Amino acid sequence: MISIGIIANPASGKDIRRIVSHATVIDNYEKVNIVERIILGAQGCGVDEVYIMADTFQIGNRVIDNLIASKELKANIKLIDIKLNGNVSDTINTAKIMEDMKIGCIVALGGDGTNRAIAKSIDKTPLISISTGTNNVYPDMMEGTAAGMAAAVVAANKFDICHTYLRDKRIEVFRNGIFTDIALIDAVICKDLYVGSKAIWNVEDIIKVIVSRAHPASIGFSSLIGCMMTIKESDDYGASVDLNCLGKTVIVPIAAGIMKKVNTCNLTRLNLNEEYYYKAAGRGIIAVDGEREVPFKEGDEFIFKITRNGPYHVDVKKTLEIAQENGFFIISGEEVY
Amino acid sequence: MNLENSRIIDMYKTMLRIRKFEEKAMNLFAEGKIPGFVHLYIGEEAVATGVTANLNTNDYITSTHRGHGHIIAKGGDLKYMMAELFGKATGYCKGKGGSMHIADATRGILGANGIVGAGQNIAVGAGLSAKYKGTGQVCACFFGDGSTNQGTFHESLNLASIWKLPVVFICENNMYGISMSQSRHQAIQDISDRAVAYNIPGVTVDGNDVFAVYEAANEAVKRARAMQGPTLIECKTYRHRGHFEGDPAIYKPEEEQKEWLAKDPIKRLESFIVENKIQTVDEINEINEEIKREILDAVEFAENSPEPAIDSVVEDIYTDIVEEVNLV
Amino acid sequence: MRRMTYAEAIRDAMRIKMKEDPDVFILGEDVGKFGGCFGVTGTLYDEFGEDRVRDTPISESAIVGCAVGAAATGLRPIAELMFIDFVTVGMDQLINQAAKMRYMFGGKITVPMVVRLPVGAGFQAAAQHSQSLEAWLTHVPGLKVVYPSTPQDAFGLMLSSIEDDNPVAFIEHKMLYGVSGDVDDEVKKIPLGAADIKREGKDVTVIATGKMVHEALAAAEELAKEGLEVEVVDPRTLYPLDKKTIFDSIRKTNKAVVVTEEIKRGGYAGEISAMISEEIFDSLDAPVVRLGALNAPIPFSTKLEQYMIPNSGDIIKGIKKLV
Ligand SMILES: Cc1ncc(C[n+]2csc(CCOP(=O)(O)OP(=O)(O)O)c2C)c(N)n1
Ligand SMILES: [Mg+2]
Repeated sequence: MISIGIIANPASGKDIRRIVSHATVIDNYEKVNIVERIILGAQGCGVDEVYIMADTFQIGNRVIDNLIASKELKANIKLIDIKLNGNVSDTINTAKIMEDMKIGCIVALGGDGTNRAIAKSIDKTPLISISTGTNNVYPDMMEGTAAGMAAAVVAANKFDICHTYLRDKRIEVFRNGIFTDIALIDAVICKDLYVGSKAIWNVEDIIKVIVSRAHPASIGFSSLIGCMMTIKESDDYGASVDLNCLGKTVIVPIAAGIMKKVNTCNLTRLNLNEEYYYKAAGRGIIAVDGEREVPFKEGDEFIFKITRNGPYHVDVKKTLEIAQENGFFIISGEEVY
Repeated sequence: MNLENSRIIDMYKTMLRIRKFEEKAMNLFAEGKIPGFVHLYIGEEAVATGVTANLNTNDYITSTHRGHGHIIAKGGDLKYMMAELFGKATGYCKGKGGSMHIADATRGILGANGIVGAGQNIAVGAGLSAKYKGTGQVCACFFGDGSTNQGTFHESLNLASIWKLPVVFICENNMYGISMSQSRHQAIQDISDRAVAYNIPGVTVDGNDVFAVYEAANEAVKRARAMQGPTLIECKTYRHRGHFEGDPAIYKPEEEQKEWLAKDPIKRLESFIVENKIQTVDEINEINEEIKREILDAVEFAENSPEPAIDSVVEDIYTDIVEEVNLV
Repeated sequence: MRRMTYAEAIRDAMRIKMKEDPDVFILGEDVGKFGGCFGVTGTLYDEFGEDRVRDTPISESAIVGCAVGAAATGLRPIAELMFIDFVTVGMDQLINQAAKMRYMFGGKITVPMVVRLPVGAGFQAAAQHSQSLEAWLTHVPGLKVVYPSTPQDAFGLMLSSIEDDNPVAFIEHKMLYGVSGDVDDEVKKIPLGAADIKREGKDVTVIATGKMVHEALAAAEELAKEGLEVEVVDPRTLYPLDKKTIFDSIRKTNKAVVVTEEIKRGGYAGEISAMISEEIFDSLDAPVVRLGALNAPIPFSTKLEQYMIPNSGDIIKGIKKLV
């Protein structure tokens, strides 16, 4: 039995970034189409069980209906049956079930937030992340068919591809000694008071940014550090920087289509498993991967720790190359010269 | 983007004012003191409040049959509103409009509307006039999920988009058009998806979180004022009551109702205020009392106001013609 | 005899036709499980299922237009609009499409559909939910316009309307929905174009439609105490119009009052009184008295609303102008 799981977030690609940062709306029909292509790619490469997250838009049911109607469905598809809450907990709960079922590979459709939710629940299950937005660092823009093929290769487990990789880094957030949240890419301490529309794009109220990786092209807060230094996923460290202080002024792509000048200081390298301590001087919020999530009040004590407890993140291109080099796609016959 | 504490309290007061006004209207309707149709906004207060907190007095709004909230949030006077609900001569519309048709031209309130979808095109016209005259005004257009299946919705988004008009379209997706749940009346879940077809930004926000609404509207209003064109904001919310007073709303599953009651926007803001020590519980209680008094004053004003004079029935039809007032 | 309300009578006629003919179906807003805005479709959803009692989105243009298309291709739709006031939104489909198709296409297409249109003031629903707009429709060649005033008439006329091969605008007065009356046990159609004399009398003819029939009957009752015998004629269908019954009555009484709830200016009462003057002028002792609502939108205030719509008192005053 070769199985994969698909988690498509019906709410991704619709938040306030559509107004503030020229981001594109991804409608849910497009997600249905992408999921169909993932399945077609995967079943073509030998996947016989596909599990899909149930969601309020019924992406899974629509996919099943469409593929049955077009007579293309070969794999056995099931929805993961949970009580839907219509929020991020659906993703977290489903990923947990998929992990427990030992599904061969999860393919996620969504943004950084979706992947962060999945990362909270999975440990051993490899993850392929398809971006459904413009403002993401963690997932990649890619064709669903290729993602499905790669998922099949990973799930077939012939070449033990993903376990040859390092696990991804993540930033663990502890509040007053209690493990509270994680970020895959960046954690931002800001003076905002409320979660509001979640997304964060105003740099004026930001105190500090902590990143697990950094690159000028990784639009968002990690580019803030990325415009000064590069931190690869393979590097065993991250970094932090303070904002709105006297030091370097950097021009940064703070959101898709938004270039901002930002004053920074105290750019500091944070080694793996090193604990970074922050005590709140007033009220504010920690945003993780660009979303305001953890409100705090004066006197709250935080520890940020970069670890390698993140997901096994599949490199789709590399995976398909390894598969091809090992003849995975050759069904029969020999080369005739 | 942080709001000053005083503005947060203002928003709280607005939401509470809407809630208390409507609870009063609900009771008065049950007692038979208010006739006609009464559509209550209870549960959706964060939408009107979060949007209008970004508007100036001279900015426009268009409203719906469920209009009390929009009007109060835009600064409508409770006394004249209540008097209108009673059909009194002192009401906003001299007793000719009632709950469903309150307008206040001095505050840019272009009227609650009995025709589903009609406000959308009127908003486009208001946006055009603001742009044409270069006044810097914007128009916030409120409408329900059900109305997005009217042609007017599509026509107005298109027109506002091609002419880059300063209109902010605010869809109050309370998941129902009368008894029709959204999943039965349209095949999409996020109405913001429809923005794509008109090449304008579309966002979905938690309509029970006044801050989420505020932020989205803030950006959309900025865009509109900068003449960058319209925005579609979908606010997910829920009406606690039936479609109109008297509708037992048996089509709403109990479980669903319970879940949404737990997400009450006013309770949410209240705990935010208390948790963040913006005000104490005592101070909150004081605000409640203050608003209750405002409502009672409004009711007293309405009750003590005169009925409209018979002759007024033929006034205000035209600017210059007064019709014959005798039937026979 | 069965005792039933006006709403029940309409429902029962639809039920009978739906049982008889699988091509008959209902569409409209909240007509399904909810049972209709005024409860007219009631339990039909439970009896016939969602395919034949179809809830639509709020899209009046699509409701009427879909009925036109379905009728043109072999079905017999009954479209319900919640209020006649919303026919404005579906007006192109009704006026330029439904009413014109047969003629424009040289008789090649027929459009057997019914549009149910609740009219009328009386419950403080104000300017956009209280109008009586039947004259807009009688003005349009290609439409039949039906307007019953009693459960019996509603029943018999609905049967005929559904069977009719033309587009029929079926006007219902909201204040009559709860009014009860006797309905024959026997399923008897009332032909479109047959007026009914609701009360016989020799002194004055009152021609009234819809709710005004009841006001006229009350006026007649009142005047009977003074020894005045008022004949009340209910045309029941506005088009085709049963001129003969109306004219015969006037030839007997030589006096005519026409009363409708519409705004007086441009109302159908004007058409009826013009016909009388044109065609049987010599039978009249005095000019026709025409009564309608004031030329104003319907106000919200109970006091103003009641004032501006004709009632039995106004009809008595109108009659008194003639006797
Ligand atoms: C043109 C028109 N059609 C139908 C109606 C009857 N009606 C009044 S409110 C309503 C439902 C509106 O639903 P939605 O737009 O979602 O607003 P909500 O009532 O939920 O606030 C309907 C069908 C109307 N007033 N106007
Ligand atoms: Mg609604």
